[in-house]
Amino acid sequence: MGSLLQVKGVKRSFGNLHALDGVTLNVEPKTVSILIGPNGSGKTTLVNVITGFQKPDEGQIHYGSTEITGWSPQQVYGAGIARTFQIPSMFGKLTVLENLLVAEKNHPGESFAKSLFKRLWAKHEADAVEKASKISQLLGLSEQLNTPASLLSGGQMKLVEIGRALMSDANLYLLDEPVSGVNPTLAHEIFARIIRLREQYGITFFIIEHRLDIALKYVDYVNAMVSGKLLAAGPPEQVINDPKVIEAYLGA
Amino acid sequence: MELLPTIVGWLIYSALLSLMALGVTLLYKTTKVANFAHASFVTVAAYVTYTSTVILSRNPYLGAPIAFIVVGLVGLLLFYAVLEPMRRRNSSTVMLMIGTLAFDIIMLGITNIHADYLNTVFKVPSRNVLLSGLDFKFMGEPGILFVALGTLALCTVAMYLLLNFTTLGIALRASMENPSLSEAIGINVSMMLAVSWFIAGGLAGVAGALLPLWIEISPDIGTVLLASIFCASIVGGLDQIYGAILGGLLLGFFDVVGTSVLASVVGPWISFYEPVIPLIVLSVTLIVAPRGLAGLRLRRGK
Amino acid sequence: MSGLDQLILFTTDLLALFAVYLIINIGLNLQQGITGIPNFGILFAVAGGAYFTGGLSTRLALSLLGIHTDLSPIFDNVSVLALINPILKSQPIIAVGFMILFLAIGGVAGAAMGLISSAPAVRLREDYLAITLLAFGEILNVIGIGYQPLIGGPPGVSVPDVLGWAGEFRFYAGMFALLFVAIAVFAYAGYLIKTPLGRTLRAIRDNEIVARSLGKDITRYRTVAILIGSTLCGFAGSLWVMYSGAVTPTYARFDWTFLPWLMILLGGMGSNRGALVGTFIFVALDKLIIYYKYTFAGILPFDIVWLNYLLLGLITILILIYRPEGLVRTWQKEPSSVQPKK
Repeated sequence: MGSLLQVKGVKRSFGNLHALDGVTLNVEPKTVSILIGPNGSGKTTLVNVITGFQKPDEGQIHYGSTEITGWSPQQVYGAGIARTFQIPSMFGKLTVLENLLVAEKNHPGESFAKSLFKRLWAKHEADAVEKASKISQLLGLSEQLNTPASLLSGGQMKLVEIGRALMSDANLYLLDEPVSGVNPTLAHEIFARIIRLREQYGITFFIIEHRLDIALKYVDYVNAMVSGKLLAAGPPEQVINDPKVIEAYLGA
Repeated sequence: MELLPTIVGWLIYSALLSLMALGVTLLYKTTKVANFAHASFVTVAAYVTYTSTVILSRNPYLGAPIAFIVVGLVGLLLFYAVLEPMRRRNSSTVMLMIGTLAFDIIMLGITNIHADYLNTVFKVPSRNVLLSGLDFKFMGEPGILFVALGTLALCTVAMYLLLNFTTLGIALRASMENPSLSEAIGINVSMMLAVSWFIAGGLAGVAGALLPLWIEISPDIGTVLLASIFCASIVGGLDQIYGAILGGLLLGFFDVVGTSVLASVVGPWISFYEPVIPLIVLSVTLIVAPRGLAGLRLRRGK
Repeated sequence: MSGLDQLILFTTDLLALFAVYLIINIGLNLQQGITGIPNFGILFAVAGGAYFTGGLSTRLALSLLGIHTDLSPIFDNVSVLALINPILKSQPIIAVGFMILFLAIGGVAGAAMGLISSAPAVRLREDYLAITLLAFGEILNVIGIGYQPLIGGPPGVSVPDVLGWAGEFRFYAGMFALLFVAIAVFAYAGYLIKTPLGRTLRAIRDNEIVARSLGKDITRYRTVAILIGSTLCGFAGSLWVMYSGAVTPTYARFDWTFLPWLMILLGGMGSNRGALVGTFIFVALDKLIIYYKYTFAGILPFDIVWLNYLLLGLITILILIYRPEGLVRTWQKEPSSVQPKK
């Protein structure tokens, strides 16, 4: 069908709370789209279900032509989908560089047998360090590479989150509020870099975002969710002028 | 295998095990820590009975109410001297567990010293001792059968009444379910935790106090039983208080009846492997139903 | 015995004990400090290494040396060893070969024990894991005492004297052997931390959920950490048996689970160097105190070994409350596995 990600009729409840009540949406390749909605509309749950942290009660999810419904987080990550968390979670005692390196997929040095012979993994490690250095330059983290992650500011942690996602060479990035708590200048820079990444590498971004004031000028599509359902989807001007969407936002 | 004695053995063992597991589960629910010192709670209680019976010549059953208070206080001591200071500096779960382990070691030392003391100063045997000879008989069966079952029933009912019909109990339950909210509405969560440590200690005390009437005790009796106690708790579900009773029954069954059956089938030497049984039950439970048997029913929601 | 001789003997014994405990503590630190696995049952792996070395060594020696006898290696232990030890005494190369073999047995036994005790709970939360590991810890002693053919029941058995060729310098040779293994283990642990494997283990310790979202198989990594740690504990058990020449079913939780935890707590968890310092300080102090404790032996109406329990339990609690990061203040940041490009 051409869509990179297809979500069909996904439902997920927690007891009596219907967090996702039949969500259907598509994400086209090489686009930057955002997911908006009032608190509690189910945005993070949707990302959790797509990335395998929770299983849907009903519905299917397809990534390209593969069905990934119910896959574990490890499998989803292996398939080429990376996600960030709303509250940045670091590996506190590891340095920023190490935080990035952990995201490296299929590192031979992680197997016990191979770890014993440095020759077997030294090259991969050097390449990964190179990649991490480039990414940290892109995100402005070069000065902090040797700092333990627990000593970073909130905004810097957000950048590391994004950096980790970038390390994975994924095709689809699901970012959960990547600029919340970040000052506007930096937030604009981050979005500008996201656009640059899309231009340069053809990466697709699906971003949960509240800060419409910042995000709207960068995105191709907007999806609006309310109470576990998708209310509207389309180009930004169309969605934000949609009366249903306006009502849902003013009502919330 | 003789049916009646085996069943009697099962019921007695299970009743005592359930009382001990009840305490462990209660503590896990309130303080969120696996109390490795429960072993010594039981041991201390056993020696309270032994000492009061042999040295002070009292009726062996008198040990139970005394041990209830004594071990309850020991529980409070562990809480206030070790856990509360650690809670205040936000120690991790692992550190708390080490704390209970360290306390257990201290108690083990004290119990051993006490046992040595009984030996050297009072010249009485204090290791591998059994008081079943002093038990009364009722309807042809050892009195401990009725006392153990009766005590379990009494304690369960008392717990139920406490938790559901008293202000203290309701506050206790609130602290278990939602400590921060309870704190916000004025419940002194710290005191509730202390209460739960006293109760858990008391329960272990009563159970431990009855032990010498049925099993040979030594200062390491708690350590030997610890695996079974935790197993009973886990099988019943670490967060289901009454599950401990189910856990005790099941574990006692596999242990007592299981050993008996195996012994008559393969031979008496198999009884050396008795300690393996709780571990097998524990392993199987964790693999099949980590939330315990009570958790099996809840599968549908998740 | 002259004062100097006494001092040398004291130091030898101290270093041997230090080496054994260092190996265990590095293994424990690998599990708890680096991967975040609270293994309260390392006794199982240590005793496993000890018992299997004790139980199998004589048998293996008999068959490898081609000695035919109707005597039982376990029940006629003394007589059988009378056949074996002279050979070992005159052939140091074979003896050292046996040492390596027994060490390997210890390691495999340790790893097996680690695997068995962790398998049911390795996927679960850390408290379940901790409880399970603790529960398994107790069992080997009971079987060792009850099942005679394993290591001969309560009196235990002796093992082939792999250090006999050193004659009167037996204990010095033993100490050097132990220290050699300990240094190798310490070096390995330092190397491991710098590998991607070590880095991923630390990441799992710091944040399991994020590690999972990055595709790491948590169960597999935890198992690897437990296996390595348990193998090391098995080595230690085996080495101790070889050094002391015998094994008895008296491996207590106090000595082989509680004390290692105290030592790494003392030094500061998470750091190999902390484990080294903690081990050394503890072993040295403990050995010094033992000399003076014996002056009390006659006076008190109880076995003075229990004083150890009281004192050390109390010290542990004090450390937990007042200085949980360890007596030796390790750096705020851990050594990193990699440096940025310049």
